[in-house]
Amino acid sequence: MNTKRMLSRANLDALIRDLVAAGTVVVAPTHSSGQERTGVTYGQVQSPDEVLLDGPQPIRPLKGVVFPPTEALFRWRQEKSAVKIEEVPTGFKETVVIGARPCDAAGLEVVDCVMGWDFRDELWFGRRQATTVLAMACTTCDESCFCTAVGLSPTSTRGADWFLTPVDGGFEVDVVTPKGEAILDRYKARCPEAGGAAPSRTAGLEQQVRANLDVRPDRIRGWLETHFDDPLWKRVALRCHGCGACAFVCPSCHCFDIVDEPDGAASGTRRRNWDSCQTALFTLHGSGHNPRKDQTARFRQRIMHKFSIYPARFGEVLCTGCGRCVRVCAAGMDLVSILAEIDRAAQGGGEA
Amino acid sequence: MSAPVTVGNGAFEPSIVAFVCNWCTYTGADLAGTSRILMADNVRVIRLPCTGRIDTLFILKAFERGADGVIVSGCHPADCHYTAGNYHARRRFAIFRELMNFVGIDPRRVTFSWVSASEGGKWAEVVNSTTEQVRQLGPFATYPEA
Amino acid sequence: MQELRELARKLLQEKQVSAILGYEHGRLGTRPAFVTDVADCERLVFDHRCVHNLAAYLSPRRTHIAALGRLAVVVKSCDARAVAGLIRESQIKREDVVLIGVRCGGVVRDAADARPLSADNVAPRCVACEKREPTLADHLVGEPKPAPAGSGSRDARLSEIEAMSAGERLALWMQLLAPCTRCHACRQVCPMCFCERCIAEKTQPTWIETSPHARGNLAWHLTRALHLAGRCVDCGECERACPAQIPLGLLNRKVARVVADRYGYIVADDPSTPTPIGTYQLDDAQEFIQ
Repeated sequence: MNTKRMLSRANLDALIRDLVAAGTVVVAPTHSSGQERTGVTYGQVQSPDEVLLDGPQPIRPLKGVVFPPTEALFRWRQEKSAVKIEEVPTGFKETVVIGARPCDAAGLEVVDCVMGWDFRDELWFGRRQATTVLAMACTTCDESCFCTAVGLSPTSTRGADWFLTPVDGGFEVDVVTPKGEAILDRYKARCPEAGGAAPSRTAGLEQQVRANLDVRPDRIRGWLETHFDDPLWKRVALRCHGCGACAFVCPSCHCFDIVDEPDGAASGTRRRNWDSCQTALFTLHGSGHNPRKDQTARFRQRIMHKFSIYPARFGEVLCTGCGRCVRVCAAGMDLVSILAEIDRAAQGGGEA
Repeated sequence: MSAPVTVGNGAFEPSIVAFVCNWCTYTGADLAGTSRILMADNVRVIRLPCTGRIDTLFILKAFERGADGVIVSGCHPADCHYTAGNYHARRRFAIFRELMNFVGIDPRRVTFSWVSASEGGKWAEVVNSTTEQVRQLGPFATYPEA
Repeated sequence: MQELRELARKLLQEKQVSAILGYEHGRLGTRPAFVTDVADCERLVFDHRCVHNLAAYLSPRRTHIAALGRLAVVVKSCDARAVAGLIRESQIKREDVVLIGVRCGGVVRDAADARPLSADNVAPRCVACEKREPTLADHLVGEPKPAPAGSGSRDARLSEIEAMSAGERLALWMQLLAPCTRCHACRQVCPMCFCERCIAEKTQPTWIETSPHARGNLAWHLTRALHLAGRCVDCGECERACPAQIPLGLLNRKVARVVADRYGYIVADDPSTPTPIGTYQLDDAQEFIQ
């Protein structure tokens, strides 16, 4: 499993064509459909020309491949006094992701914990099973990246079935998992064994990311566990709009809402849709009481869940340091600064 | 979404929903009926107190649920039972119509009219001309689905 | 900027307000700032990266902000239109807020953009801006600035879309709205979207499906654009906040054009002008009505 192989760009293109021809869904970073702002997003591609491997981080997280923004859970139909449930087909199309960022691949593994916890989410795992992730080491980063602060790095192989490292001439391939072996078996011709180690194009990146944020998650968790009422929450939450954009671009946020959509008097579809704890509605009770009645409480919840509650339950930080929340936030919340402030306070032993 | 309605010979028959005000158009439609004026039977009438009550979401919901065309009709200006409901509606529909057109909902699928309680003939005309227009346009199969 | 900081200090010292809502430099760019201490007024800045519309924070729904007390808010002329809208629609009282107007020379599209202001990165609305200082203001700070460089018709894209066929337009909008995940960031950052219970949250019946599928997305975006008719102040925050980079401004600009053409109404920072949707004329055009 640890024999390094070499994948030339030409062979990668050929591999993509092979996969598409075989009816596999191929997902890769590609241009998004925005007309006035061009961005890169993970999208289904039909040909290698649509794949952008040297671009910026895709604006949408990879989780959409195994956990779509909306999905039908089942359909119902009422016939006389009986209700028939029609299960939505659970056969998932084989999918290969090419060029997943390490922060996105890791996000899938981190969320596996809760999806398999007290109730096994068969939709999540069904899609996970059907999806092979060919992750790729980052060659670029910016000031919003902080994967190293949460135990990852630009070359982390967590969540990857193959890990590709860009080198001169193509990519070095590290086959990480049995699922990766299975794909390799089918397409071995594209990936001969590597000769010597080629110079990687990712050198120096880890240092750059570390310079953005150097904190200890265990220290942060300790502070969070004892500072529920700290004035920091009120202060930082003032500028938060509660828009939830952060949750919707996050590789590890996974909360969802369930809705029923009737299509007539006697039939309809039950769906689940992405949701965010940052909205006022998220914890609104039927009685009208809201335990998180303002943005202070809601924003605190976000940080607590990611850096204290989830780690306490599953031993994993619910964050992969991808930085999307920082980039997308219209109010400049900047999680990096907030974590730095909390870590400093944790070291100082006092209030933030 | 349900398949387009067809008659015995397979020809497409449009499904049209009409949102009408109680005081004028609904009464006018009633008059058309009691006067035995022949009208296309493609239209389902939904009665509201006033065009001012007609939310633009009703129009969208009709399309979502399979309507091929929509009619919105009420009292003539100055005749609103609630004095000004139709004036507010007029502005609202004027703006929404252009917005719908902008996103690609063909404006020929939505008919707006003022039909008074005594204009049974006009109602029949609106029904027949709208039905024929939408029949020509065909089913609204491209309205977005889930 | 010193003028701004001195004014802020004075307002706090004299207890005219409990907090200043302005801008500061964050780690990566400019962002909104709430300053409650005189010493912290040094943080306040105003430059071409102050793109945010701070009026959004004035909604009474934001109880944790309302709890701060009387605020002084830094407003550009576009932001002042939003404050006027909130006053016009009885969300805040004029006397409950102190407005620090700033003379603006245009802002960038992205608050983290470190480059100087130029035709390449200026927000499109700034190029068309006719009044670079607000009328609705208690104080006015900053030097008058020239109009920013930039070109191109603001609404060229609107005309392009209008020239397409209905089928092409529908296909285009389905493509543009497909990445929408219904995060509602557009609504949350909008100063004029202040409803306690948004129509999109209503159930029994559900008029606007909350699912991010094509049908639900179209209903949401059309409804929001309509509900902002004559109210949208063209601050561009919705488009800036959208994590899916959807050109939302196209819908709002289209509606604004319809309202201007039909009713001669353009949003201004005068709270006493009535909204076009809430009013009518006996002889409003009705050429589309049989």
